[in-house]
Amino acid sequence: MNQLYLFATLAGTRIAVEASEVEAVVKLTEISPVPGMGPHVAGLAALRSRVLTIIDTAALIKGAASPSREGGLAIIANIAGHSYGLMVDGVSDICRVPQGELPLRGQLDRAWAPYARAIVEQDGNAWLLVSLGSFIDVGGQAQAA
Amino acid sequence: MDELLQEFISETQETLEALAGEVVAWEADPSDRDRLDAIFRFFHTVKGSCGFLNLPRFERLSHAAEDVLADIRAGKRGADAATVSAVLGLMDRIGELTEAVARGAALPNENDDYLIAALNAPTEQAAAQVPSAPVAVARQTGQAGPRTIRLPLSLIDQLMNGVSDMVLARNELSRKLRERSADPELDNVFERLSTCVADMRDVISKTRMQRVERLFAAIPRMVRDLGRDLGKRIDLTLEGGDVEMDREMVEMVVDPLTHIVRNSIDHGIETPERRRAVGKSEAGALRVEARQSGNQIVITISDDGAGIDTARLVEKAIGAGRLTPEAAARMTEAERLDLIFQAGLSTATQVTSISGRGVGMDVVRANVERIGGVIALDNHPGQGLCITLRVPLTLTIIPGLVVRAGGLHFAIPRAAVVEILHDNNAMLQISCIGGAQIATIRGVRHSMIELEDVLGMERPAQAAPRAIMVVRSGSGVPYAMGVAAVDNHEELVIRPASPLIMASGVYAGMTLPDNGKPMLLLDAAGIASAAQLPTILDDQAARQTEEQADAQAGVEMVAALRFEEVTGEKRLLKLALIDRVEDIDASLFGRSGNCAFVRLDGRLVPVVNGLWQFDRDKVSALRLRDGTQEACYPVATVLDIVQMPLVPDMVAMHGMLSGIAVIEGEHLEVINPFALFASLSGKEGFESQGGRCLLADSEDGWTREILAPLLRQAGHDVVLGLPEDGTIDPHDVLLCHDGDGSKLAGIMAEMTGCRVVQLRASPRAAGPRDASIYRYDQDALMAAIAAGQG
Repeated sequence: MNQLYLFATLAGTRIAVEASEVEAVVKLTEISPVPGMGPHVAGLAALRSRVLTIIDTAALIKGAASPSREGGLAIIANIAGHSYGLMVDGVSDICRVPQGELPLRGQLDRAWAPYARAIVEQDGNAWLLVSLGSFIDVGGQAQAA
Repeated sequence: MDELLQEFISETQETLEALAGEVVAWEADPSDRDRLDAIFRFFHTVKGSCGFLNLPRFERLSHAAEDVLADIRAGKRGADAATVSAVLGLMDRIGELTEAVARGAALPNENDDYLIAALNAPTEQAAAQVPSAPVAVARQTGQAGPRTIRLPLSLIDQLMNGVSDMVLARNELSRKLRERSADPELDNVFERLSTCVADMRDVISKTRMQRVERLFAAIPRMVRDLGRDLGKRIDLTLEGGDVEMDREMVEMVVDPLTHIVRNSIDHGIETPERRRAVGKSEAGALRVEARQSGNQIVITISDDGAGIDTARLVEKAIGAGRLTPEAAARMTEAERLDLIFQAGLSTATQVTSISGRGVGMDVVRANVERIGGVIALDNHPGQGLCITLRVPLTLTIIPGLVVRAGGLHFAIPRAAVVEILHDNNAMLQISCIGGAQIATIRGVRHSMIELEDVLGMERPAQAAPRAIMVVRSGSGVPYAMGVAAVDNHEELVIRPASPLIMASGVYAGMTLPDNGKPMLLLDAAGIASAAQLPTILDDQAARQTEEQADAQAGVEMVAALRFEEVTGEKRLLKLALIDRVEDIDASLFGRSGNCAFVRLDGRLVPVVNGLWQFDRDKVSALRLRDGTQEACYPVATVLDIVQMPLVPDMVAMHGMLSGIAVIEGEHLEVINPFALFASLSGKEGFESQGGRCLLADSEDGWTREILAPLLRQAGHDVVLGLPEDGTIDPHDVLLCHDGDGSKLAGIMAEMTGCRVVQLRASPRAAGPRDASIYRYDQDALMAAIAAGQG
């Protein structure tokens, strides 16, 4: 296993994302809000001629909207034919991890349970491996509820 | 190998589509060698390719067909109806097989032998079949198409996206350039780039276009099969197959069109016996025509059948409990006809296998409206029915209104908006009962919602009046939606929003306007259900309101003249007001005081837009008439006559204008005829006429030469002398000079009860009791006459 991972921080937690899921990381400039949606939908942003649905991932995990949405970073991903931007606190690195993913250990916080798949070790730290699609799935359920 | 197979599949499918019509045409005219050859070639090609690709079933089928066709070509056999049916059957089977191969599914395991036997033993089969009902197809056969290549759709989409990116980059560059100091050289280069980008965008969007012919391809076959099943004879005419529209749009229109054609054959066109009985030719005429009009494709489907029996519709609606007899009695013919779009109503006496299976015109309308189209009926009971579909050229570009609410912009499809009013409009009353808002517009009650409330936004206070839109969703009930303002009318490129956002139910998509800020497209029906409007309308009383509202909400169209003003704007004026259009010598125009006028047929006619000097010799002018008054309206050019909504799309009373109407994608200002004539009467002193002015001293020079013309010019009916037959109406006003005449006049006045206005030559009154008026005091004179005529 010699997977390429993107390492980022999200809601104060170190996360890793498989690089194949990631299209780009951009700085969000202007977000047009979408009224009538839960706090996890930050709004729409234009990336060249594409329109991204911006997901406030921290809101999904913590239940409260992030205070400053514009100017933050977002991971751009194409999920089921639509473009999304998932907001993250910061991005630290992209690199290969020779040992690949390791099984989860310990009691995972309930809030993280739907998203975390495994652990990835890098620079002596453990990073929570999440799948981006799961945020959209959970977001959809939150909207339906 | 896979590629070869793929190629074979798509080629076969395409040829099949194109051939369906040919076979039917060939049946109608078996001597048509070209068509026979085309069909023969098809089977021959299939046979050749599939031997190579190892598809034995294809080979067997095409071989059998080829044999029969070869016999016909050689003149050994006639092309009777049964043979054609058998050939069609084989073509269908090949189509099924192709699809199965394309999907990689197992080939449907049916007995091909039966089909082949049918082909070879046509004579026995023929007896069992319905007497032949050939369909004559008059079809413009296009010339051999230009050279083409096959491209995957995804590549074209990629190109489209690339061009969109380019346009946005161009826009940004343009903004940046404007911020910097102007450099003509740079501007020129940029201008050239812009033109290139725009051209490129046009060309790329053309790659998505497809000839409507594809839409028509299935019709001849369907008409033939239906005609045979029902024992009806149909003359089918297809026209305008070379019109192009968006590929996706073609796919969206297929179903509604098929349904309408089915309906027309099943319910519209009568059986030959019945047609003979009512004096029509035995074969019914069915005509499907496509043409482009502006940025719309207009498809008309007309037949000369029985039309829609509106009385039956009303009966059914009443029977189904959807309409009360009282409401029905109040409905106009157009409103009754509109009932055909109600779910579950059909005039068919019984459910047949062809149509009337509960999927009715309501679904057709919903489908057409979903793609931003409009459906209209022109019904002539006993004579036929003409259905017009108007659909936008492309699926992704729809005309939309940009509205503002809660500080954000939203788009709403233009087709969903019936009318727009400001909340300070006198025609509109908003009442609040138990939390529910009700907007009453011209006596029709609509449930009303504020968009901000539905979307859970703050509603900031605003000084300007709010805009109230009457919105109708596909098949739902019209309702009133309040927004902060209606800002703009734009062609919007719509793309689907992510499922997350669609799940909210109030958005139908999103769009990225040139300013680069994404905007959401509102879903009119979704908002109604989010606001829980339908539940209120479930009871009977509400339904009645709904029917009335439904009926009245339909956009009434009137004919209007489109013209260009001398100042260059394009405007509309209701046609009914225009007496005629004529070229007038510019020298005939003149001005006096603030009023312009023109000399016509020896009279002076006011010029309503105040123009009197022109840069040309001949001026086109509209001659207007509101029944009593005449006016002239010089214009630059008269363009054409169009249908405009009775109520402009955007009501904005301002000066001479009553609002803006959108005709064929162009915004045109609509002249307010009321303001036009109102401005006239103010200036010229045209008053409503009560009675005549009788001038007693008809021999007097001053009366004849000065007073009479003055009164005539003011619009009064002037009679010189006392009417000989003595008929004086109490509304008449008698004018006379002091002196001898006045005594006589006094007697007359007493006898008839009419008013007398006495004039005197001296500026000063003779005494305090002198009620006469100085004859050059025009204001007092006019006032006195007006008072008398009151």
